[in-house]
Amino acid sequence: MIARPALTLRGIRKSYPGVVAVDDVDLDLYPGEIHALVGENGAGKSTLSAIAFGETRADAGSVEASGTVGLVHQHFELVGRLRVWENVLLGREPRRGWRIDETAAHERVRAVAERNGLAIDPDALVEGLPIGVQQRVELLRELDREPSVLLLDEPTAALAPAEIAAFFATVQRLAQRGTAVMIVTHKLQEVIAYATRVSVMRHGTIVARMETATTSVDAIARAMVGGDLPGVAAREATQPTPCLTIEALCAGAGETRIEGLHLEVRAGEIVGIAGVEGNGQSTLADAVAGMIGYDGRIAFAHPRATLGVIPQDRQREALVMPWSIVENVVLGRQDRPGIRRGVVIDRAHALADAQRIKERFDVRTPSLDVPVRTLSGGNQQKVVVGRALIDSPDVVLAYNPTRGIDVGAAALVQSRLMEARNRGAAVLLISFELDEILALADRIAVMYRGAIVGDFERSNVDRAAIGRLMAGLSNA
Amino acid sequence: MIELVLSLALLTLIKATPLIYAALGGVISERSGVINIGLEGMMAIGAFTAVIISYATRQPMLGLLAGVAAGALAGYVLGVAATRFKVDQIVAGTGINLICAGGAAYGLVLIFNQPGASAQVPALGHHYLVLVVLAFIAALALHWLLARTPWGLRVRACGENPAALASAGIDPLAMRLTAVTISGALAGLGGAFLSLGELNLYSDGMTAGRGFIALAAVIFGRWNPIGATLACVVFGLFEALQYVLQGRISWLPADAMQALPYIAALVALAGITGKVRAPASDGVPY
Repeated sequence: MIARPALTLRGIRKSYPGVVAVDDVDLDLYPGEIHALVGENGAGKSTLSAIAFGETRADAGSVEASGTVGLVHQHFELVGRLRVWENVLLGREPRRGWRIDETAAHERVRAVAERNGLAIDPDALVEGLPIGVQQRVELLRELDREPSVLLLDEPTAALAPAEIAAFFATVQRLAQRGTAVMIVTHKLQEVIAYATRVSVMRHGTIVARMETATTSVDAIARAMVGGDLPGVAAREATQPTPCLTIEALCAGAGETRIEGLHLEVRAGEIVGIAGVEGNGQSTLADAVAGMIGYDGRIAFAHPRATLGVIPQDRQREALVMPWSIVENVVLGRQDRPGIRRGVVIDRAHALADAQRIKERFDVRTPSLDVPVRTLSGGNQQKVVVGRALIDSPDVVLAYNPTRGIDVGAAALVQSRLMEARNRGAAVLLISFELDEILALADRIAVMYRGAIVGDFERSNVDRAAIGRLMAGLSNA
Repeated sequence: MIELVLSLALLTLIKATPLIYAALGGVISERSGVINIGLEGMMAIGAFTAVIISYATRQPMLGLLAGVAAGALAGYVLGVAATRFKVDQIVAGTGINLICAGGAAYGLVLIFNQPGASAQVPALGHHYLVLVVLAFIAALALHWLLARTPWGLRVRACGENPAALASAGIDPLAMRLTAVTISGALAGLGGAFLSLGELNLYSDGMTAGRGFIALAAVIFGRWNPIGATLACVVFGLFEALQYVLQGRISWLPADAMQALPYIAALVALAGITGKVRAPASDGVPY
């Protein structure tokens, strides 16, 4: 390929207090390619793309672009109460005298949408749109500037499978028309399926560059973690005794209502709940965690049994983002003997707990006193899982414990869940990733429309049958 | 009877006018994401400065402009505190209220050698009715600016999600600073209307909570200039009622009548709780 690169990065270096985020990176993006930038959380991908976009200044090195560079953020930067066209053209409004030329604005948004094969109603209010369509708006905003380089930060993290396919169709069309596209991701299947080249970052440098045609998910994953993936802890033999018993549970309302659900989780086993999102899993989790009222019975083996919870949404339900790691580790455990001394919280004890979690979970942070919002998603999740497991609870409720985190962090979290099981905890694992359930669970229950519709022992799992049950097809 | 209704209507519009200016200021500020709790103080400093300049120059028009400028300056100070220094907006606005009211009280002693009230100064006379009409025109103009112009779109985006505005290449802090300064200018105009329009002097406490009533009107009017203006007319009606009803309803004490606009504001706010939604980033520092 002799084409001139659309974006050239040379000798890029950027450090923050206590860490070198990007260290001497060279990278070329060519027109028409889809380039994947992968790496563990905190490897420097986001910093590098912010530098390429011009949002962050590098300490050293040069950035050369042949045209404009666009960036689509992982968390959309849209204004919910404005219309689609207003969001797309914000800051570049076509004018007629003092006012916005609304006719021209509509035409422009329609034209950009049509050119890129994105169906959209320019007058729709953004807050009412599904996530996948909101992303289209974000994409349109960048495309209106006709970028020669388009950077996409974790673009599929929030999308449903059908939306992901549609999204990549758009990206491929863009590349065919000569845009250089770079996708920051840790979904390696998508890298293999859609990207042309892949660069792997580790500790701030690019450690491998590969053509996707001649590599594999395993090879990329090995490059990411710098060796073989840490294996999940071995499953040890346990003597299961009933620990969590759910009988005739009715809870919730509407689509996600649970009606007459029976389930038993024994000490020393992991029961995986398989199912498509929105079939009552969150109602089940909320009922077990005691967050909503219910009819029926949820009983623990003994009255003083303890419960560790890994909630579904770490930022909304698990962590107070501006608080430090230490404070978040105390949160919800503030009345435990040891942590509470009289009427005050024992800071030394809390610090020791946080330190223990940091070591056991390899939480990468310059200090335990930094706000958790400054941590990468994977490290935040490690704090959440660490807090749920630190007091060796009798029952563990884990809801999508590895969602949106990289392969290394995910393997670590899965290992710790397996260890909890091995020491005799009853683990209720709710996950939308069937692979995760198949890897961890001793028994698998399939949930569909608020009920358990199938039950499998680990020894006789039938993947196809589970898939049919998840889709609502009868066992026959 | 017709005469009574007409005089009530005219008085309502006059009483609504200073509220409308302050409320329009509140709308601009809050739509950009800054809660302007300092409207009361900005009205007071506008009223006071207008009187001082009219006293010094014998030119009430100059006084009026000076009142607007003083309000703008107070707005600018709040804006700098809220953007550059990220001071809590409620604390900074309360500070503005205390400084303005205290500064005016001290200024009375310095300049007029007497506490409580200024001497009588040249006032606007009947010209002040132009300001009444102008208030309604200003409301329509602001509505148009917010809804139809690039500036308005950016102000609205700034109050909802300043990060989105920043990623479109526009500095949200500069946007907010401009908006709060304009907000102060409008509140200052409302204050000058009180001291040089309705009266011809400044006295301590003459704003009498109108800045806060204007804030209530902003919420009652759902952060919309037209809505806020209509809310101000309602509150103005209750203020006007006390003058018209005085001496006609003997069983209601005068104090209770004076409390009418405040009670109306309280009831209005209590009645719409949970039914309105402020701009998403209103009051959130960027």
